[in-house]
Order: sequence, then structure tokens, then C-alpha cells
Amino acid sequence: MSLAERLEAYLTRTWGQPVTVADLSRIPGGASRETYRFVANADGEARPLILRRDPPGSLIETDRSLEYLALESFCDRVPAPRPVAMDAEGAELERPFFIMERVEGGAVASPFTVMPYGAHARAIGESFFDILGGIASADPAGLPLAKAAELPAPEDCWRIAVDHWAAVIEADEQHPQPIVRAAIRALRRKPPPPPSAVRVVHGDYRGGNFLHAPDGAILAVLDWEMVHLGDPLEDLAWAIDPLWNPFDATTVSAMIPRDEALALWSKASGLSVDEDALTWWSLFAAVKGQAIWTSAAKEYRDGGFKEPILAVSGWYTARRHDEILAAALMRLEGLQ
Amino acid sequence: MTPSLPDILVGNFMCMADPGPPEQQGEFMAGKVGLVALLSLLAAQEAERGVAARVEENALIREALAEAAVDYKLDVGSLPFTDEVTVSALDRVNAALRTALIGLHEAVEGRQDTARHHAMLRLYARMADLRRLDLPPLPAR
Repeated sequence: MSLAERLEAYLTRTWGQPVTVADLSRIPGGASRETYRFVANADGEARPLILRRDPPGSLIETDRSLEYLALESFCDRVPAPRPVAMDAEGAELERPFFIMERVEGGAVASPFTVMPYGAHARAIGESFFDILGGIASADPAGLPLAKAAELPAPEDCWRIAVDHWAAVIEADEQHPQPIVRAAIRALRRKPPPPPSAVRVVHGDYRGGNFLHAPDGAILAVLDWEMVHLGDPLEDLAWAIDPLWNPFDATTVSAMIPRDEALALWSKASGLSVDEDALTWWSLFAAVKGQAIWTSAAKEYRDGGFKEPILAVSGWYTARRHDEILAAALMRLEGLQ
Repeated sequence: MTPSLPDILVGNFMCMADPGPPEQQGEFMAGKVGLVALLSLLAAQEAERGVAARVEENALIREALAEAAVDYKLDVGSLPFTDEVTVSALDRVNAALRTALIGLHEAVEGRQDTARHHAMLRLYARMADLRRLDLPPLPAR
């Protein structure tokens, strides 16, 4: 039975009417989920949709119900796809999945290219940090996400984050990594101040994870699979991590200067940026990245070396994050 | 451990050998070809520099451990050594050396031995630089 036939069977059953699937096509990227676009035809209506299905081997183990609830929480607040259906057991599709509406007319720019946003870098940067601030401004208590996401105490945010990703490295590391281990110890030695408010953390908010229109408008923030509640500076630090901007030292995220980005985020979120805390979360961002890449390398091997996206993640990005971590550890000690 | 050069090259073959189902042709296959092309380019850098980087890193770590051996009671003589210059042989030795280095750094931090702590951070910077991969300046699409 083909994937299209499985989708038809699922949608016909759940929508209670005959559904045919057309133009099913896998989309590149998406190392943590298989992502497909398709059209569902039912009752004379054609609905362009996106299927996100768990792969056999994944870059990160995440809870798709949180991702689904995050989209439900934010699709009317920020540019984000509207969720349509989810099955955590997999049903006819055999692996857990969810379906969301397709946002048309946009493109995803790779952050690993030169000037990924061209002439629209400033406009995109202003929207990018404004939207991130908008996510951080939302009180999680009233959101659908609050039904499933754990609410940490402010003073526990840093420790939960470090414990989680340190455990991932411990579980998946196949070769000793002294640099990231030194960074983890440095994070534990000097924790950041607690956030003034616990907020929704997208978890992977960065260049390459949003759709933008030809005129530079951001159409949809994607890839909410690592969403959780925590210190909103976690997202800000991840978004401005040097990994996502390999060719332009004058900007963050290959968009706008750092001070402008922070000011935009602060205005939109209503939260101030504590530079000491951001320094801590920036080091954490590189640790988190290294943990993800460590898992990618393991999955690449375990999966028989068949997914080149895992090779790029487990190799180039891991090496780059070692450079970033080593430089950050030196800066913490005032070394050149 | 990041994938080794043989892992990458075998992977480039494996991922292209199986064309996959119809829904994974078109745009997805084009993306895959682009990734394989990028990996091949990075593999060229690793083929040129990877063995030398491992030889130098192993020597630098061994030197750091030897320098601290008396103060920290390290048995450096028991650490493995190889005359082979294959990636796999060098990585086996590297794993043992890195494990010892992690242990030493933890001890250094425990004693608040700032001078040695800083020396180890400089060593990390050098290690990261030795293994650096340079992304080609790909134009945006």
C-alpha cells in the first residue's frame, strides 16, 4: 500500500467521506520529521495540506502532540500553519504524524548560503525578531499548549534545559567530546538569573525554519517540534547563534545587527534582555546544538548512512559548533 | 563522534543507490543531490587534512597530559599509541586520549588551577580549528 493510499484511507475514515490524495511529494529538509505536501480532494473541494510523519530514525526525539498544540496556540497570533489532524499512534500511516494546512507562495532560505535573504534581509530580520518577541509575549496559561507542556519554575528553567541536552549527549555520544563537556560544566558552575516570566520557547527558531514571500514578508514559522515552556532567552540565543550565519559577522541570523535584533525582540515581548543571562543561554545554545548533532551522527550510522541531512548535521554543524563552543569558553575567561 | 570520511563516502553511495518511492523523487531528490554534492566537497577537505589533524590533535593531547602527569598523578604511559596512519586507528587512540583529557580537565577545574584551565581552553580552540570544515560560499536560491 503506497503512502498516498494510506493517507486516503486515514482521511476517508476520519472525515467520514471519500477522500482522494493527489500530488503527494516529499519536501527536502525536515530531519526530525518526514514532510510531504499533498492535495486532499473531498466533496468537490481541493485542500492543499502538509503531512509531517515521524521518520524511522530521527535527529531529535520529540512529542508531536506538543508541536500540534503549539500550532493550535499560535496560528492566529503569528504567521504559522493551522493544524488539521494528528494521530500519535500512527493509524493507517504506521508512524505518528500530523497534518496541517499548507501555506502557499513562500520559500525557505538555507542559512548556509551567502546572503540568504538578499535585498530583503532587513525587512525579514525586523519581522523575524518581532515575531519571536510575539511568541515570548504570550502568557502560556491561556494557550492550548498548556494542556500538555510542563510549566517549570523560573529558577529551574536553566537546569531542566541543561540536564535534558547533557543526557542526550551522554546517551548518543560515540566518541568523547571534551569541548562540549567543558561547556556543560561551565553552564552548571554559573547558572543564569531566572527569567522574569516563563514563556513558550519555540525550540528551533532560526533561519531556515520559516517561509517568506518574494516581497520579504514572513508567511509561516515552521518546525515547532522542540516547543516547550522555559526561559524565552533560550529562543533568542538560538536564533542568533553564529552557526546560522556563517558568512556575515556584522549581523545576526544574516539579517540585521545584533543590537537592533535584541531591541526588536524586547519591544515585542515586553521583556528586557539581561546580557549576562543571554551570554549563558548563548553558550547553552551551542551545547544544545552539539547534542542534536551528536544524535544526528548516531542516527546516520544506525540508519545505514542513508540520510545525507543527518551526515551534514552530524559532521559540518558538529565541527562548527565545536569551534563556536571553544571560542565562547575562551571569551568567558577573557582569553583571546 | 562525527562521521568519518569513509562513513560519508559510503553514505553518499548508499543514499543514491536506492531511488526511493515516487513521492521522494522531484524536489526531494534534488535536495538530496545537493546535500550529497555538499558532502563531497567537504569530504575533499577532510581527505586532504583529516589524517594530519588527527595526528596533531593526538600529539597535543598527549603533550598536555604528560605536562600535567606529575601534578595530577596521570599514568600517561598506559595510554594507547599507534604507528598506523589510518583514520580508524588514529580515532581509536584519539578516543582514549580525549577520555583522559576530560578527566584531567575535571580535576583541573576541581583544583581551580586557572593556568592549566586556560591552557586547556586554548587546546580546545586548536582542536576545533584543526577539524574545521569550510562551507563553500553557496549563493542563495
